Amino acid sequence: MSTLKTWQELPHGGVILEAGSAAKYETGSWRTWKPITHREHCIHCLACWEYCPEDAIVLEDGQDPSGGTRKFVKEVNYFHCKGCGLCVRECPVNKEGKVQALGFVRDEV
Amino acid sequence: MSNLTAGKPKIVPITGAGACAQAMRQINPDVVAAFPITPSTQIVEDFSAFVANGQVDTEFVTVESEHSAMSACIGASAAGGRVMTATSSAGMAYMWELLYVAASMRQPVLMSLVNRALTGPINIHCDHSDSMGARDAGWIQLYSETNQEAYDNLVMAARIAEHPDVRLPLMVCQDGFIISHSIQTMQLEDDKAVKAFVGPHLPYHSILDTAKPVTWGALDLQDYYIEHKRGQEQGMRNALRVIQEVSDDFAKTFGRQYNLFEDYRLDDAEIVLVAINSVAGEIKEVIDELRTKGEKVGLLKIRSFRPFPYEQIGQALSNAKIITVLDRSASFGAHGPLFTEISTAVYNYASNRPLLMGHTFGLGGRELTLRHIEHVISESRICLDKGEVGNRQGMWLNVRGDKS
Ligand code: SF4
Ligand code: SF4
Repeated sequence: MSTLKTWQELPHGGVILEAGSAAKYETGSWRTWKPITHREHCIHCLACWEYCPEDAIVLEDGQDPSGGTRKFVKEVNYFHCKGCGLCVRECPVNKEGKVQALGFVRDEV
Repeated sequence: MSNLTAGKPKIVPITGAGACAQAMRQINPDVVAAFPITPSTQIVEDFSAFVANGQVDTEFVTVESEHSAMSACIGASAAGGRVMTATSSAGMAYMWELLYVAASMRQPVLMSLVNRALTGPINIHCDHSDSMGARDAGWIQLYSETNQEAYDNLVMAARIAEHPDVRLPLMVCQDGFIISHSIQTMQLEDDKAVKAFVGPHLPYHSILDTAKPVTWGALDLQDYYIEHKRGQEQGMRNALRVIQEVSDDFAKTFGRQYNLFEDYRLDDAEIVLVAINSVAGEIKEVIDELRTKGEKVGLLKIRSFRPFPYEQIGQALSNAKIITVLDRSASFGAHGPLFTEISTAVYNYASNRPLLMGHTFGLGGRELTLRHIEHVISESRICLDKGEVGNRQGMWLNVRGDKS
């Protein structure tokens, strides 16, 4: 049985009443290419995290060489990553061109 | 304009555009976003004076285009405000994308539309190509024969558009220059009485309500888009009832009765003209003249074109023997938009099968004189006597080079 609502059950104008409901939406199903992290080359500048339109770059706390704690790139959340490639393009290590901190490969489903 | 404030209703000489500006002042909307365009300019001009003089509390947004004007209106409406704008012709055409957005988001934006031809060649005068082109955008369309009707329709607009069973944007249409720039006397109601009639605006899931955060304008794909559209269609269907309810209450409050359409000497009429907006005035004059000579002729004047009251109109036209529809806009390669609606109403809901004829007139402000209307009626009489419309169908009236 369908769990989708009938037109009578919907609020007017397509308004979404549940805050943060986008988190449940699998934008990952749109993906044809996917970014992959090469942490050995990553300088953890967080540019990819900042540019990602789907909030799909996952961070973790870690030890800074100067002693404090800060955020580091952990992985890509493929439930939300739609494969737009913005992170790959904006990564300063990738721009240098010698090695890649974010690879971009065909996503074989 | 300060002599027009407070007190009892007043009989005032005023242009159609000025009348709509007065209605806007009395409604005192939360936000007006508008970009002036001929012939609707005076509405925005007068209203900006009310803002400058402190006669309204409105946030008046002077935008750089009509596209932005409608965008600002939609945003302000989603933020929970009562919102109004005014435009004409190419101005509304430039809003096109957002007209659909306003309707689909069920934002009850109110527009005063002064009908003007769409460009090509450039023309600033009246026809209905602007609003007729927008007839499928999802806006309620109320038409006005006179300054009084334009004012009254605008006073009723908020309660219709914002009704919980409707919740759709609404445009009040009047003829450019013919009405917008002509001074007629009309009854301007008392500010407080109008305010009481219009009532408070009840926001629907405002984006500024941080206690209950919502998302407006999200992506909607194959799984839900058509359900949202079906709901939108229901708003239009409900509007037929709500327009009549609000009009009846208006009649109780201010004494002027409006319906979904006006029937003028229709009961025993064999020849019926159907028209929209100011030309109805001339038609009534010709009808009165011909009635003294015993010609059974009447008029059905459209007020609500969207939603279109098919059933009521079909029934009202049940006694007609020939119906002649006058369209003030062309649908190139097809019959006029009003003609096709009337045909549908008659085919489905009239109890007899009258002859049907449709003509195009008045594009770009071309006049239709009393003599032309007499001619239309005498041609209708010829068709009726012959029992067929023949090649008289689809005439363009008062065009050099055409027989008519
Ligand atoms: S942009 Fe590149 S270097 Fe910076 S954190 Fe992301 S992957 Fe690492
Ligand atoms: S490909 Fe696009 S969606 Fe995926 S992690 Fe990179 S920026 Fe985010």
